[in-house]
Amino acid sequence: MLSNANTPPVVSSNTDTNVVEFLDQQRGRIVSNTGGWFPGKGVFAHGYSMLEELVGVKSYFQILILNATGKLVSKELADWVEAIYGCLSWPDPRIWCNQIGALAGAARTSVVAATTIGSLAADSRSYGPYTLLDGLRFIQDAHAQFLAGATAEEIVQRITAANRGKPYIVGYIRPIAKGDERLEAMERYAKKLGFAIGSHQTLAYDIEKILMREFDEGMNINGYMSAFLSDQGFTPEEVYQMFAAMVASGVTACYLDTYRRPPDTFLPLRCDDIDYQGPAARSVPQP
Amino acid sequence: MQEPKHDQVRSRNEPFVAKTVTRIWHETPDADNPYIAQAASCHGYDLLELMDKRSFADVFYLLFRGELPTPAEVQLFQALMIGLINPGPRHPATRAAMNVGVGKTNPLHILPIASAVLGGDYLGGGEIENAMRFLRKHHSTPAQEFCAQWRDAGASPESLATHGIYGFGQKNGGVDLLTRSIAEHLLSLPGAGKCLRWGQQLANSLQSFGMGWLSTGVAAAVFADLGFHPRAGGSLFQLLGAPGLVAHGLELANKPITAMPFVSDDNYVIER
Repeated sequence: MLSNANTPPVVSSNTDTNVVEFLDQQRGRIVSNTGGWFPGKGVFAHGYSMLEELVGVKSYFQILILNATGKLVSKELADWVEAIYGCLSWPDPRIWCNQIGALAGAARTSVVAATTIGSLAADSRSYGPYTLLDGLRFIQDAHAQFLAGATAEEIVQRITAANRGKPYIVGYIRPIAKGDERLEAMERYAKKLGFAIGSHQTLAYDIEKILMREFDEGMNINGYMSAFLSDQGFTPEEVYQMFAAMVASGVTACYLDTYRRPPDTFLPLRCDDIDYQGPAARSVPQP
Repeated sequence: MQEPKHDQVRSRNEPFVAKTVTRIWHETPDADNPYIAQAASCHGYDLLELMDKRSFADVFYLLFRGELPTPAEVQLFQALMIGLINPGPRHPATRAAMNVGVGKTNPLHILPIASAVLGGDYLGGGEIENAMRFLRKHHSTPAQEFCAQWRDAGASPESLATHGIYGFGQKNGGVDLLTRSIAEHLLSLPGAGKCLRWGQQLANSLQSFGMGWLSTGVAAAVFADLGFHPRAGGSLFQLLGAPGLVAHGLELANKPITAMPFVSDDNYVIER
């Protein structure tokens, strides 16, 4: 028998046997409330037969939203989401997530690695789907204040009072540029699809008027999406889930552009293009 | 409603820097080609001289802390690196690595995929910053007193986080004994610091409730005692667990797809 002089004294794990019993019941089993594939019987998703009720019957974006939220939405709403996906990713490698794609192309990764890590890079506090959480939380909280009697003016004042006079509201201040050229395109399309302007969106526009007047800041695409999707009954978490891969296609495009060029040629850096500000050269002491 | 009027789009002309600044690494250009480095230094120390004189753990510590460690510091850090080198074949991150391997995914994807899973909020990097801040804030309050406040409010594993306690808890219904042993080994070293000692007292107070150290708590305590910034903690945890993840992924990479269990239809239940 093996023995080890260093074996520590036995300490009890003080285990809750109910937990072990529960884990034993789950061993080798998967319980899903989503769906699955049963060879020869079919594929099921959220209570629907995938191949009979969804594929070819519903659009890809209806299926995407179903998987992300459990809700089978109208074709019109799925079309709106598809259109806004087109607004959220474009092939400019100066945008941080897209530059991941461009660098991945320069380093010759696979296109799948580039596209997925670029999407991961957009999980950011500054831009991308994560900011929709705060965008929807803001407008839904503001709407609750509005229903309780607050005006748009008062809602903005409360925010600025808490931020030393600055209008830090997710959905209204955009990095790099002021204003957002995507709003009018989406507003036109929403109208064409037959969507009326709901109460979250009305409040969002009222807030924008105040910010434009007092701070020269307007709404951005996050503010528009947050208000529109709140009027459609989505929670912040559902929207974060629906837009998890929203920057993917622009990343792919940026990857391909650099992949087709010679290595080392994307934004080449001389050694002294990096500004070293650390300690001066010093000799290594022996340990 | 009137058509909304939006702001006209214009650049903010933000003052972006002309060059990226680093305090970590300096490359000395070749005299003939400014794109070729002929030498590199880490926080002022020549890379080749570091290769000659110091250990991997020393230079790893230097990269993140800016200074070389003392012998006691590196002994503690290296022991932690070994303690965390493999989250083990049952950790979700390792199982992700194994799925990558057996699924015949490009093996170069094992590390990014599995280390992302090791960045989760449960037994992963996502918990480390909170745990470091918790330990740094409370290590001067008597641990038993701290535990008593939590106990008086119900003493459930779920209530630990609501009491601001991170890095401690119940694993599979009881105390994580291996992690407890790792903590005890680290405590026996001369470099053990205040957070690790206080964490051990808290773990002892939680023991009778079937709770104690989690691996994230031990990592957080050592990182805090060694002076790493809480924001660095999660990434360090991913780095230290990475070797085990990759090893397990590679172990399955050349095996048939049948080398891991596949749940039968009878054991796959759709709950609707």
